[in-house]
Amino acid sequence: MADDNKDKKATSEQKVGVYVCHCGGNISDHVAVEEVCKNAEKIPGVVKVQNDVFMCSDPGQELIMEDIKNGTVDRVVVASCAPDLHSSTFRNAIQRAGGNPYIYEHANIREQVSWVHHGDQATNKATRLVAAAAAKARELQPLEPFKVDAKRHVTVIGGGIAGLKSALDLARKGLDVALIDKSPFLGGWTAKWDRAFPTDDPVSELVTALAGEVLNSEKITVYTCSRITAFEGFIGNFKLTLTQAPPESDAYEDEIKRLSDSGKGFGEFVPLAGICPAGIPETTTTHDIETGAIVLATGFLPYAPRYGEYRYGESKEVITLPELIRIMAENRQKGVGDTLEINDRKIRSVAMIHCVGSRQIPGIHEPDAKGNLNEYCSRTCCSATLHAASMIRNNHPKTRVFDFYRDIRTYGRGQEELYEEASDSKVVFFRFEADAPPEVTRNTGSGDFPLNIKVKDTLTFDEELEMPVDLVVLAVGMEPGNISDLVEMMKLPVGVDGFLQEVHPKLRPVEIAQSGVLLAGTCQAPFDMGETCSAASGAAAKASAILGKGYVELDPFVAEVDLNKCLGTGTCVNACIVEGALSLVEMDVDGEKVKRAQVNPALCTGCGACVAVCPENAINVKGWTLKQYEDMVDMIVSDRILPSQTA
Amino acid sequence: MSTEKIEFDALVVGGGIAGLQAALDLADQDFKVAIVEKDASIGGKMIRLSKVFPTLDCASCITTPKMSAAAHHPNVTSFTYCELQTLKKTGGEITARVTQKPRFVDEIKCIGCRQCEYNCPVYVPDEEQGGFAARKAIYIPFSNAIPQVALMDVENCTLCGKCAKVCPTQAVDYFQKPRDFTLTAKTVVIATGFELTPLRDKQQYGYGEIENVITALQMERLLAPHGPYNRVIRPSDGMEPDSIAFIQCAGSRDKSMGVSYCSRVCCMYAIKQAMLLSGAVPMADIAIYYMDIRAFGKGYEQFFQNAKAMGVEFIKGKVATIDPGENGTVKLQYEVQGAQGGVTTAEHDLVVLSLGMVAGWNPENACSVGTGSDAFIKTIQPKIAPTLTDMEGVFVAGVAAGPKDIVDTIVEAGAAAMEASNYLTRLTRKLAA
Amino acid sequence: MALQENQAKILILATEDCAYPGANAVGQAHMSYPENTYVLRVRAPVMFPEHFYLDCFKKGIYGIIIMSCGVECPYEGAYQALAARVDKVYAMMREEGLDPRRLRLTGVCTVCTKAFVKEVNQMNQLISELGPPGAESKKAA
Repeated sequence: MADDNKDKKATSEQKVGVYVCHCGGNISDHVAVEEVCKNAEKIPGVVKVQNDVFMCSDPGQELIMEDIKNGTVDRVVVASCAPDLHSSTFRNAIQRAGGNPYIYEHANIREQVSWVHHGDQATNKATRLVAAAAAKARELQPLEPFKVDAKRHVTVIGGGIAGLKSALDLARKGLDVALIDKSPFLGGWTAKWDRAFPTDDPVSELVTALAGEVLNSEKITVYTCSRITAFEGFIGNFKLTLTQAPPESDAYEDEIKRLSDSGKGFGEFVPLAGICPAGIPETTTTHDIETGAIVLATGFLPYAPRYGEYRYGESKEVITLPELIRIMAENRQKGVGDTLEINDRKIRSVAMIHCVGSRQIPGIHEPDAKGNLNEYCSRTCCSATLHAASMIRNNHPKTRVFDFYRDIRTYGRGQEELYEEASDSKVVFFRFEADAPPEVTRNTGSGDFPLNIKVKDTLTFDEELEMPVDLVVLAVGMEPGNISDLVEMMKLPVGVDGFLQEVHPKLRPVEIAQSGVLLAGTCQAPFDMGETCSAASGAAAKASAILGKGYVELDPFVAEVDLNKCLGTGTCVNACIVEGALSLVEMDVDGEKVKRAQVNPALCTGCGACVAVCPENAINVKGWTLKQYEDMVDMIVSDRILPSQTA
Repeated sequence: MSTEKIEFDALVVGGGIAGLQAALDLADQDFKVAIVEKDASIGGKMIRLSKVFPTLDCASCITTPKMSAAAHHPNVTSFTYCELQTLKKTGGEITARVTQKPRFVDEIKCIGCRQCEYNCPVYVPDEEQGGFAARKAIYIPFSNAIPQVALMDVENCTLCGKCAKVCPTQAVDYFQKPRDFTLTAKTVVIATGFELTPLRDKQQYGYGEIENVITALQMERLLAPHGPYNRVIRPSDGMEPDSIAFIQCAGSRDKSMGVSYCSRVCCMYAIKQAMLLSGAVPMADIAIYYMDIRAFGKGYEQFFQNAKAMGVEFIKGKVATIDPGENGTVKLQYEVQGAQGGVTTAEHDLVVLSLGMVAGWNPENACSVGTGSDAFIKTIQPKIAPTLTDMEGVFVAGVAAGPKDIVDTIVEAGAAAMEASNYLTRLTRKLAA
Repeated sequence: MALQENQAKILILATEDCAYPGANAVGQAHMSYPENTYVLRVRAPVMFPEHFYLDCFKKGIYGIIIMSCGVECPYEGAYQALAARVDKVYAMMREEGLDPRRLRLTGVCTVCTKAFVKEVNQMNQLISELGPPGAESKKAA
């Protein structure tokens, strides 16, 4: 610690070199470079001033490298174009000369001087900017990128296709993976469909392709019937506790029954259930996992219609699309007739209603018990509905299909064709407005149809149309999965729509604010299978970039506590915007136990929120200290370098 | 002819947002990556946009950091103004023959100071500004182009010699020739993007003949903070339009144009432009003529409902014809769906065609990668490995594999990088075994 | 009277992600603005304590413009903390007899060239009316 102090005191002796660029006239046509150089010699701490037509050229860089090598300067200021263009050039040059790249500061005298100002005033402003940069440079310290060891291990939470795909990508990359699912099965919701739209791929093949390789991989450990029950740590070094327990009595009843009825073994695909890798545990066990990154692939839940919504629950003839898909898949195993049959009931006509539990509008739709509205579009239901509609028409030509929609959103590759196929196969379309949804009533009129559906059809000039039907199918949307335990434990960000919230949809689409925790698939938003797998691979790419080297290299621009000044007030801890980046710890100072602030550089983002509130200025962001800014302002207002003119 | 051979782990074809993201994700996994870009700058279509949906943040603010990250990444080398000629695979190695088009400016000597541009006496309509502003015959493509290297438009250059005279580094080279070179890599990511649907076959939309009918990309420039006029005016007479119409599915879902698919982004960009317009020209009436509003991404439906609440008028109907009206107005004829029905006409001061996307690159003469009936790159496992093409070791990302918005493109680029990375790992293991 | 470089100085605290590149875009477009402006690049302006601003005025800075990324701030929560602090600084400025308009918090994006120039011109207009920091209280007295 004593040595540290010595270093800091040496500040006033730093030897600053100033290098001014002409930029081939771009600067020197408006700024008198010679004059800037002459004035720069008067700047405190400046020991050498040079200029060149092109500082960024090899001869220009040589000037800097020479001065570093022979010890003439140990801080560098280059006055040239905008720093984002060439600061890496100059930092590299310093490094090649054996210096630390962070002893460099930039004065922007092209974009912010010669290109916007002219004449004497431009020269004076350039001089002041150089003086300010030199003042900052005197306070620069050599920095090293911060490295933390990272476990080459990733935990993937969720065994649907997103989790399977992520796990597989990571294992192929050579990382160890723990794949966790709360159910006894792998395959998630995908395993509970029949065929994927628009390709018609049987889901059994899709799930088997992914899960088969997962189960064969030596790199992947699969934990079914498991939940995360404890979580701590940070990027590269998370610690998780996993609790594996027999499922509660009624949970997964249907799937477990399908498994035993199917006569299939562990690791084999069971239609409408998934792949059970290793049976069901009889006792509760816990496992501690040390892991470097976490991929959240917790998926979605189909929207459950409320009792009475389009008569759902009131009439057994009203079902959801997932229910229809399952019934049709089972029917196909039995063989199909020219009329769709459900529980031995012939379905002569079916009404399919879109946007159930999606695209809800405040003021029109009623919020749920918690006050939520699903204002988003669920993205997949239009195509899934049309896929099912065409399947009915193709397999059961005597069953008529009426389709009630708001907008048909067959956006993806091959999906517009689905729409066309449905039209060609004589599916009849009706379009309704959000505030005038179709009305489902009990049929008391003609025929022996159980239900009636009435709609104001905007395709036919708002005509009121009414038709009797045997079945109503609700195209339910997606809702966020129930992961409130994880959200609370891991402090996961949840968006207004209830799905997990990425940092930025374009800049960092699979990352959340907490470094090392990644999003894969429908825990983030509704996606179809292909999109889910893309997101899963994208998350895997991020995880392997993070953990590939076995250590995580972090930005050195993090907060640093000056223990000589810190009084342990804790103000900084309260002001910190990143949970866990700053804390008060007990330590020994001169034989006394005291509390002092401590930075966790793995979590600190270097925003400086702590700097502003410390009454002692005992905390600063490395390379960007408050003193540096104060010194820069001093140089800007100083009349030492440039005598102030009497106006 | 001199040919050099340069070795990489991965080659990314296209330096738009998909290519940049794939390149960065591969480079971050410590692979050496080459980007081959046909334009003079990386950044693709995205850098030309104003603001992007649904967050309305400025496109440049999202693209520039990725461009500069790629430009400064020690593992990434960009080859701009380069055409990929062929991709050949022999064993585990893929050889790319590339031709660099002449800029007539030495890219190593040029320091991007623009002295040539300032002194050039020739003015040419600037395609980067939708043709609304002028550029010079020697110029830096656009303000945040990377690299900041000038290029000469020989079609319009008068050979006056001024640029060569003022260049402080003697970078102007009137005799520069196309340069052929060869790159080798073990894997390839195709990220060749799209072009807007050409309107040449759609005379009923009057493109090119009606002055106040513009494309959505031109509207992006009118709305951009550094756009040509600093405000929204119509091209014919500089009038601030009182009524603006967007025509959806102009070049999508339209078999008569050979584009039967949905282009996925036009609904959202039209809504976004409508929202930006209601800020830029607050008094103007804005109408969107549509078939179905496809606001399917995260936060998109809410964005659409906001636009409705802000007073943007959504008219369900397919526009059949567009004709010039009196005093620069534009007349639309469309079939109404809703209350009264029938064919109706409407007049607007400015009409924007929400053009769709067509494939940016045809691999036919370059390699064995196949395409679908929509002319985009064919993928062989769209449900569980959406970036796999039918040529082993070659992957596809973004709009090259079908229309996609920026969010979906960026995610898919990450996926392509992952598949390519695993392919490389597998290859190395095979070689080691 | 045009304000000159060596007289009334304006300090601009520009975020490295948004406003600083925005100021460079002004240069690339060769738009002109007064020379009395000094742009300092900051990671997030939330780092400056209240006294930093008051000290600047004491040192003779006439006006300060904080050009942030606004709600697009890459540090979640930092912008809100900054806005709250600026409100406190306003109160302190009033106490010290400084016109709070000498400190302005605004958002400038990477290509917001016109917004940048407008802010600079507005601040120049203001300080040419107000005079040196502290002059307003003398005027009032």
